[in-house]
Amino acid sequence: MLIRRSVCFALLALLLVNGCKDRQITAYRALKDPAPAAMPPAMASTNAGALPEGHPPIDGRSSSQTQPAPGGMAGTAVPTAGGSGLTWTAPAAWTVKPNGSMRKGSFAIKSDSGEADLSITAFPGATGGLEANLNRWRGQVGLPPQSPTEVTAAVEKFSAHGLDFMLVDYAGGGNRLIGAIVPFGGNSWFFKLMGPDALVAGQKDAFREFLHTVKEPAP
Amino acid sequence: MNAVVRQFRDFFVSLQLTVVLLILSLLLVFVATLDQVNLGIWAVQAKYFRSFFVMWQVPGSNVAIPIFPGGYFIGGMLLTNLICAHVYRFAFNFKKLGIQLAHSGLILLLLGELITGLLQVDNNMRLEEGETKHYSESFRDNELAILDRTNPAYDDVVAIPEAVLADEGTIQHPKLPFVVKVKAYYANATLQMGDPAGRPGAPVATQGIGARVQVLPLALTYKPDERNLPAVFVEIIGPAGSAGTWVVSPVVGMPQTFSFEGHTWELVFRFKRTYHPFALTLLKFSHDKYPGTEIPKNFSSRVRVKSDDGRDDREVLIYMNNPLRHGGFTFYQAGFENNDKVTILQVVGNPGWLLPYIACIMMGLGLVIQFGQSLRGFIRKRTAAAAAP
Repeated sequence: MLIRRSVCFALLALLLVNGCKDRQITAYRALKDPAPAAMPPAMASTNAGALPEGHPPIDGRSSSQTQPAPGGMAGTAVPTAGGSGLTWTAPAAWTVKPNGSMRKGSFAIKSDSGEADLSITAFPGATGGLEANLNRWRGQVGLPPQSPTEVTAAVEKFSAHGLDFMLVDYAGGGNRLIGAIVPFGGNSWFFKLMGPDALVAGQKDAFREFLHTVKEPAP
Repeated sequence: MNAVVRQFRDFFVSLQLTVVLLILSLLLVFVATLDQVNLGIWAVQAKYFRSFFVMWQVPGSNVAIPIFPGGYFIGGMLLTNLICAHVYRFAFNFKKLGIQLAHSGLILLLLGELITGLLQVDNNMRLEEGETKHYSESFRDNELAILDRTNPAYDDVVAIPEAVLADEGTIQHPKLPFVVKVKAYYANATLQMGDPAGRPGAPVATQGIGARVQVLPLALTYKPDERNLPAVFVEIIGPAGSAGTWVVSPVVGMPQTFSFEGHTWELVFRFKRTYHPFALTLLKFSHDKYPGTEIPKNFSSRVRVKSDDGRDDREVLIYMNNPLRHGGFTFYQAGFENNDKVTILQVVGNPGWLLPYIACIMMGLGLVIQFGQSLRGFIRKRTAAAAAP
């Protein structure tokens, strides 16, 4: 009888242990992850070159963040584009913001009614294709996705400084997104201005002028 | 023996119990198979089989009530039933050897599944050519790793599983000089650039990337090729008060570091890691095709295995049906990425992996003996009948 009872108890205990298995907080000492090998060495300088001409470096933050972190998360970081960058000249009224790890350029456009955000990013290749990117942008202002023919029909195309711009303007839910996609040097560059509808609509001409200042850096 | 104990004994050794449990498990498998359409294989396993009860959430509330015994309950009862019957009726004689062996095999099989459920590690290891890793990562489980990065040679890591974060409680650990308060947990969410204060109801992050992003909760996905990306707001509170609130998520691609009492700390939400006492280096990944076609012929990874204690340092070739077995883990060729420059190895560690084999041999042998004995008896009877005048 004793054997039988103890066997039953042992089983029950074993089963109950399982409940705790996924909840164990562990502590250990680990070697640091090796510095990433695949990080293009040109990245830090590219980012500095992406600042407006003559602009002082921004609070040291962008350069420190783009350097391969010692160990760190580099293995999971989204690869942004390497290679040579583009340059631009922004209106004085726009405020320069820190780039962070993903952006090549970052501005805030402020008014009494709110703040719009202009981000400049670049990623290798076609990054999923034009239609997918445009539909992603549509989703960001709450518009439903369109078929490839519909979505490309609304694209306004123009060229400046030997670059081909594809410009779109989406408004929905009180917000507006004006964006341009530029293929350059094997990468796709994204210029995205997003914010309150009235503010962004008022900045459309300024944004278009800004795009006309975007060019390849002089050699 | 008193009456209560006897009642218990009669219940646990009865054959009726076995039959009822088998019927219940049939129903469980049937319903779970149908529910795979909705939940996918992993969620179904957790809900129906790796649980004591199948819970049903009352719509529109947080109350869950058990509606059916789960896999662990039925399996546990079956095991108890089997062992009790065995112990109670056990009387070794040669005639019953077959039956005894078959039943012991069945007990071993059930125990093996239990051990697998408790101890199996099913990870993957993603290696670029030339890269060395000491760890493998879970396919699905996430953890919040809090790293003390102060020492240049190593990190001190405290890893908090997602299940603990989901409780939205306060976490203390002897290795941490501060308390980690989980202010909000989202099982699946995406981040987008924007003012964090623009989303009322969610806590506001003050530090790291959280100060520039909004967290948008998403519906849970059960598709096998999609992954839930959780996001958590954590506040670090020291003896002197709050050091700030961070947003952590596997989506965040940059390290989030902060200083606390002279040490540098980092917050990373990542796939749950298992560190091994050895390192693997990918020397070369090969993707052979049949000449003139795009049809793959062979995938193989040439890796170097180097154990920390220096006892092992060798090159091995891992390919289909030829995994590397090392240190209790098996490394299978599972995939590749990035123009054949990255290999993905599946890493399986299961201390009970031999048990099902042994169990099946025992059951097979037991049945052969059992039926062999019957056959012998039958043949003997026939020859006796034929010999009779």
